[in-house]
Amino acid sequence: MKKSLARILFLALALCLVAGGAWAKTLKIGSISPLTGPYAADGTDIKNGVLAAIDAFTAAGGVPGYDKIELDAQDDASCDGKQTVAAANKLASQSGDNKIAGVVGAYCSGATIPASEILDEAGIVMISPGSTAEKVTERGLKYMFRTCGRDDDQSKAVGKFMKDYLKAKTVFIVDDKTTYSQGLADNVEKECKALGLTVIEHDHVNAGDRDFSAVLTKVKSANPDVFYISLQNSSSGGLMVSQAKRVGITSKLVAQDAVFHPQLIDNAKEAAEGMYLTFGFIDENSPAYQSFAKIYSAKYGKIGAYSSYAYDAATALLTAIKNSGSTDAEKIRAELLKMDMPGAAKRIKFKENGDSGSNYIVLVIKGGKFVNFWDPETGKTF
Amino acid sequence: MAHLLLNDVSVHFGGLQALSEVSFELRPGEVLGLIGPNGAGKTTIFNVITGVYRVSGGEVAYAGRKLAGLKPHQILAAGIARTFQNIRLFTAMTALENVMVAQHCRTRAGVLGAVLRSPAQRREEARIREQARAALDFVGLANVADQVARNLPYGLQRRLEIARALGSEPNTILLDEPAAGLNPSESRDLMDLIRRIRDRGLNVLLVEHDMKVVMGVSDRLVVLDHGELICQGRPDEVKKNKRVIEAYLGH
Amino acid sequence: MEYFFQQFINGITLGGVYALFALGYTMVYGIIQLINFAHGEFFAAGGYVGVIVLSFLGAHGYMGTHPWLCLAFSLVLTMGYCAMLAMAVEKIAYKPLRRSTRLSVLLSALGMSIFLQNGLMLTQGVYDKAYPTAFVQGGLDIGGVRISIMQLLILGLTAVLLFILNALVFRTRIGKAMRATAQDKVMSALVGINSNRIISLTFAIGAGLAAAAGIMVGLYYGAVRYDMGFVPGVKAFAAAVLGGIGNITGAMLGGFIIGMVEIMAAAYVPHGGEYKDVFAFIILIAVLYFMPTGIMGENVDDTRV
Repeated sequence: MKKSLARILFLALALCLVAGGAWAKTLKIGSISPLTGPYAADGTDIKNGVLAAIDAFTAAGGVPGYDKIELDAQDDASCDGKQTVAAANKLASQSGDNKIAGVVGAYCSGATIPASEILDEAGIVMISPGSTAEKVTERGLKYMFRTCGRDDDQSKAVGKFMKDYLKAKTVFIVDDKTTYSQGLADNVEKECKALGLTVIEHDHVNAGDRDFSAVLTKVKSANPDVFYISLQNSSSGGLMVSQAKRVGITSKLVAQDAVFHPQLIDNAKEAAEGMYLTFGFIDENSPAYQSFAKIYSAKYGKIGAYSSYAYDAATALLTAIKNSGSTDAEKIRAELLKMDMPGAAKRIKFKENGDSGSNYIVLVIKGGKFVNFWDPETGKTF
Repeated sequence: MAHLLLNDVSVHFGGLQALSEVSFELRPGEVLGLIGPNGAGKTTIFNVITGVYRVSGGEVAYAGRKLAGLKPHQILAAGIARTFQNIRLFTAMTALENVMVAQHCRTRAGVLGAVLRSPAQRREEARIREQARAALDFVGLANVADQVARNLPYGLQRRLEIARALGSEPNTILLDEPAAGLNPSESRDLMDLIRRIRDRGLNVLLVEHDMKVVMGVSDRLVVLDHGELICQGRPDEVKKNKRVIEAYLGH
Repeated sequence: MEYFFQQFINGITLGGVYALFALGYTMVYGIIQLINFAHGEFFAAGGYVGVIVLSFLGAHGYMGTHPWLCLAFSLVLTMGYCAMLAMAVEKIAYKPLRRSTRLSVLLSALGMSIFLQNGLMLTQGVYDKAYPTAFVQGGLDIGGVRISIMQLLILGLTAVLLFILNALVFRTRIGKAMRATAQDKVMSALVGINSNRIISLTFAIGAGLAAAAGIMVGLYYGAVRYDMGFVPGVKAFAAAVLGGIGNITGAMLGGFIIGMVEIMAAAYVPHGGEYKDVFAFIILIAVLYFMPTGIMGENVDDTRV
């Protein structure tokens, strides 16, 4: 008696599962970003950017054939790639109705590079919103795209700024040794040398350090025209900038895109005033940005540095799925390469290698805000 | 008054009966010798009284208060102090500090007082120091007060144990083989010390193998064998008791 | 020379933080032979309570009028809060395991660390929390060497707390009771010491010192983050081992040595900045090779708690 009851219950349950699967079809996409650990701030912005894109896309009618779009947000905790590989494997191993149609991520270049190899092999498109190392799109991977720019372009922009606008002669470079931050710093060093600037020293700290007193004392006694800061996140950036001011460094502070985040100003406060940094040009007055900002801030609060890039990456992915009517990577890729539309951060238009072009400009922190300052294209201030 | 009463005390560990229904009393101002062959249960009695072991049956009462369930430090606070068969000093502390630690239960100043070094705390500290010096003086260790315990000769470490027990200002003191390892002259000094302790109004429960010491200093004796009390009375009475002779000499 | 003195100041400031932090590891180890992995979380919690209290006071305008009073108030509150937190952790996670193997307590400590860190992340968020900047400006210039007011504050507070701790452990009955409990738990119970209270107190004091270090670091660096206890925690633990774990004087010494080595390596060795942690641990390994129980020796229990 008992046994047969159990059998009936089991059968009923199985039936429900099958029926449920057939009736409510869900489109699944993935994201990989650090939701815990030192880069949790940027990683959370990325996840929220993707969620905001799903909201917007769903509100606009969604993807035909699916009732719902769902995000499988993986946490890779850091930038070293170990956990990113695990996350990528997890996403790649989903099959059947749970198959992941595409992935937004990862954040750090050092994480994106190993993860993309797994996803590429599994035939899943990956669009990174923040990995700017050149190598990301230079490995001949078919399904690797990015909405952010490239470090070699960024270092050209900043080199030009230091020479032409700041008229700097000497530079002191500090990075925190991640694939991205050190890669960029190396590029900047090369660029400086090419432009005839003297790099007094190129020193390193560890990612996650909070005490920079030793290296800052070094910078102070070297007294360079420009102190170039290449750190992996705004949290470290904030600490370094405020400590730099306290040590009494009077050099011009120039930083890069990874420290571009409201958190930098929150932490460093007055100490951040007047510092420069490079970031992709985002036209905050464009209708695409405006509609993104409205959706995003209503639900997820303050817009982070990579929120709009993640939003664009997810929008591009979903649009490609919708237009191709398929979750096949080859077809999605074809649609992505055809795409040319305004995005929140910049125009969404991919090259054959997966890059979407760089449009780095120099911003300055003024009155507690990031303000567009100098355009390397024109060599003029905004 | 400081009257220690054991009433039908039994202790067993698993199947092993360590004590069975032992009853005796320790009267104010007397030295009671507790003797018996090895394994008779003498140290078990000490551990029962000081709260290290729990009784399986019967009860221990002190000054009209039952001791069941009290923790060692509470029993000490009630006025019962002890020494150990194998010396257990805080070897890294000075002799004076060893005695001062024992007064922990008699002091009140809290952490805050200690940190702020409030006048009350300073007075208390001074009082403790004074009393500890007096206790050292009493056992004849005044001149080694500031030496680290582990550097003291064996005989003096024995005395320091007694001084530490006295440091908690007890009414009752339990001495576990205080003469072990002492030479005859040191043993004589020890007997003198035990008498002087009694003369201060303390009652002393003494476990001792050295018959010369225990017979010489005890007012009464209690004899244990295999966890049972086989005889009690004045030393001269006990010496003649048949069961005692059997227990010590075998059948 | 100025450069050297500047780096020297940096070194002792960082060393002071490590010293305060390391004491908790060493005291707890001394008394119950446990490596308290959750200790770093008290440091982080201290940083957070500090920023919450100071921001609250700032929002009500007290920071502008009585900045030093606010700092003292938040320091006392923070240390008190973390002391209570540590006592609770001890009661919940360690005391029930007092009779189990050391490994199970160690695992419990690891679990507690993860629990507290994630608790901090969930309640306070993944973003940094910035400290008010009222104290951090200004400093002294002595012959070209700049000592910021925060460095003075850290050094002063470290000195005061170390002095108080020394007095507490070596000059008071509570200190004697702590040392007695560390040496022989059974015996100390028999001389009338309530070892549960002493263990609880040891946790409280260690956490209080870590909390003070946390709030100082928060002010000094300008911001706190939920995982800020981890890396300094490893260094502080190394400092405790370097000095001879269980030894209070050793932990203080170890803290200053690790701090100084780190700064000097970054200051003088080419590319030292990236390998400064390596240097800190090389010193640790070298010392342990020749002195396996640390500089002051684990078993010199004169100073052990």
